[in-house]
Amino acid sequence: MNELVAKTQAVGPWKYALVPVVVAVVGLRIWLFVRRRRRRQQGSPSAPGRTAPGAGAAGGSRIQAALDSVAGDVGLVARREIRERVRTRTFRIGTLIILLVVAAAVVIPVIRKGAQDHQRIGVVGALSPPLRVAVVATGPAVGTKVTLVDESSLAAAQRDLRAGRVAVVLVDAGRLVVKQGFDPSSTSTTTLLVRVLAASLALQSGLEHAGIPPQQAAALAHPKPLPVTSLEPAPTNDTARTTLVYSLILTYVLLTQFGTWIVMGVVEEKSSRVVEVLLAALRPAQLLAGKVIGIGLVALAQAALLVGVALGLGAAVGSDLLHGTAPSGVLAALVWVVLGYAFYSWVYAAAGSLADRQEQLQSVLFPLQLPILFGYITSITGLGQSDPSTLVKVLAYVPPTAPFAMPVLLGLGHATWWQFSLSVAIMLVAIVAVARLASSVYMRAILRTGGRVRLRQLFAAEGA
Amino acid sequence: MLEFDGLTRHYGEVVALDHLSFTVPPGQVFGFLGPNGAGKTTAMRAVFGLVGLEAGTVRWKGAPVTATERRRFGYMPEERGLYPGMIVREQIEYLARLHGLHPADAAAATRQWLERMGVGGRAESKVEALSMGNQQRVQLAAALVHEPELLILDEPMSGLDPAGVDAIGSVLMEQAAAGRGVLFSSHQLDLVEHLCQAVAIIDHGRLVASGSVEELTTGGQPRLVVKVEGDWSGDWAAGVPGVRVSRVEGGAVRLVLDEGTDPQAVLAAAMHAGAVMQFGFERRRLSEVFREAVGA
Repeated sequence: MNELVAKTQAVGPWKYALVPVVVAVVGLRIWLFVRRRRRRQQGSPSAPGRTAPGAGAAGGSRIQAALDSVAGDVGLVARREIRERVRTRTFRIGTLIILLVVAAAVVIPVIRKGAQDHQRIGVVGALSPPLRVAVVATGPAVGTKVTLVDESSLAAAQRDLRAGRVAVVLVDAGRLVVKQGFDPSSTSTTTLLVRVLAASLALQSGLEHAGIPPQQAAALAHPKPLPVTSLEPAPTNDTARTTLVYSLILTYVLLTQFGTWIVMGVVEEKSSRVVEVLLAALRPAQLLAGKVIGIGLVALAQAALLVGVALGLGAAVGSDLLHGTAPSGVLAALVWVVLGYAFYSWVYAAAGSLADRQEQLQSVLFPLQLPILFGYITSITGLGQSDPSTLVKVLAYVPPTAPFAMPVLLGLGHATWWQFSLSVAIMLVAIVAVARLASSVYMRAILRTGGRVRLRQLFAAEGA
Repeated sequence: MLEFDGLTRHYGEVVALDHLSFTVPPGQVFGFLGPNGAGKTTAMRAVFGLVGLEAGTVRWKGAPVTATERRRFGYMPEERGLYPGMIVREQIEYLARLHGLHPADAAAATRQWLERMGVGGRAESKVEALSMGNQQRVQLAAALVHEPELLILDEPMSGLDPAGVDAIGSVLMEQAAAGRGVLFSSHQLDLVEHLCQAVAIIDHGRLVASGSVEELTTGGQPRLVVKVEGDWSGDWAAGVPGVRVSRVEGGAVRLVLDEGTDPQAVLAAAMHAGAVMQFGFERRRLSEVFREAVGA
């Protein structure tokens, strides 16, 4: 039974990665099929007019060649984007700084916790071997590790206590000394340790006074805890929430940072006018797709590097960053980063085509960052509540905010896999729609210079 | 052969192209001339599908131009454009690849064209580090690197020194001699007259005149150029009957003679004004062809 449960849990997370892949593959197939049919219908009447020899017979290979050229050009554009981005000093130094920050965020809590987790108990006078074992065994019960330090005298022990070299001093197995009195409500590790030690040592001496031999008294006073089983799994723990917070922050940073790159890239091409040279050889959709894919791959590689370093370091230093986190959470977050990027990159590209100079970027960028900020803040607030609000539940199906809200719902166990898939499907449809709209805005705006282009202007002029 | 057939386009109230039709034969340097705002850039952009047309088609070798044909064209837009932060060589290689060249061919052609344009030594510099003149040369290399069947250059001479104008002129002639189509625009009609074998002159989106330069400049009324020593204004010519002053350049007066006007009478009037330094017939200039055609 247990094995079965373990197996389904192991399969579970991959489901979330498979769903979008399957949907995307099926969608691509349908698209290619429709495209081929359309080509065939268009191809035959115009074939005699073409100068290409054997146009009719070579129809199939021509479609193939056309498809090759589509992928080839997009690939060329993407490769240029990657090369130019990775080459800049800002990117390299920026990545290094983010890596250092992540490394620090992983390692520092462990170091600090390590210092806290290690409780040293000074021992003055005799302590029998069974008692030594018993005192050390108290550590795990309060979530810490205990080591004993033999002190030469009470005075030496008090010096160590004052200097913080030991947390507690045990005098003649019958008295505990601490540096400062405890607040009655305190739950710090030292307080807990002292309380447990005081109780169990008192019980021990009581039992010994009652004539029970020390060996048995120790066994009675420091029993092994009973095993605890539960009917239901533990509620989402803090580590899962922490991981979700990290993944939300990562999604937010990636969407805003790389979105900004796309806008800047589009504006660079527009303001330097190089776009006219490019569009003489490329279709706007190819140029945009290449840019989006190129920058997206850089974004993913950087994110993967960050996550890899975080996980690797976490494992190396024994951080509990990922303990208790379902891999499904991590995978779902990854899927949504990709989907969110695919959605916003088109919007950013269209927005970039409206600006004429880098100075106009801010006014163009600001309205775009609002939905991202809104989704991010609502979702991260939702994490603080025991149950996600209705707002978060609704936002999980709205494409602009779904990249933040859906992973939260899923991570907190408030979404089933079909709800997840529904949201992914809505998102994919939205991406196609946004891509079409954005290409049309881009095409109309990209060659207009002399001031910021307004959307109304674009479509009004076309109608005239 | 490139055919513009009935191109029409408005920008709001402004007419950019008004049923514009003309044909650019291959193997000649073809000038596309007209004042600023005549619609030259819009027509050239239409070849690359960069503007939506309300009516009309652009045909290459008899078939409407599609993306496949455009990849074999070379284009230098009026608004020059290169990635400022990109290495010159990589930029040209990239554009060559976008036009369908294989990596090795792209590298070889890039090297060759940068050398030819005299910027081979700057191949590894960033574009923004180059002077404007050199950027212009790189831009021309970008238009030529893939050995285009048709070369379309929008105001290629603007902003160039005389040496640069000559360099571009020789490249254009060489391309035309190789049997390619060469179409370039200019608003300085007289400056490019000697470069073109044929021209189309447009104004307000309409064709004003087209044909070989030879044909256009030998037709019309005779021009007489007269220079009188010490005279810079050419005022003496104002009172001569049967002539119209076309232009005064450095004291040399270009006169358009009405039919039946006796050149000897003009010479007499000039001699009356002072010592005659120059007296002779000249061809019509393209700017005069234009002005006479639009009635200005």
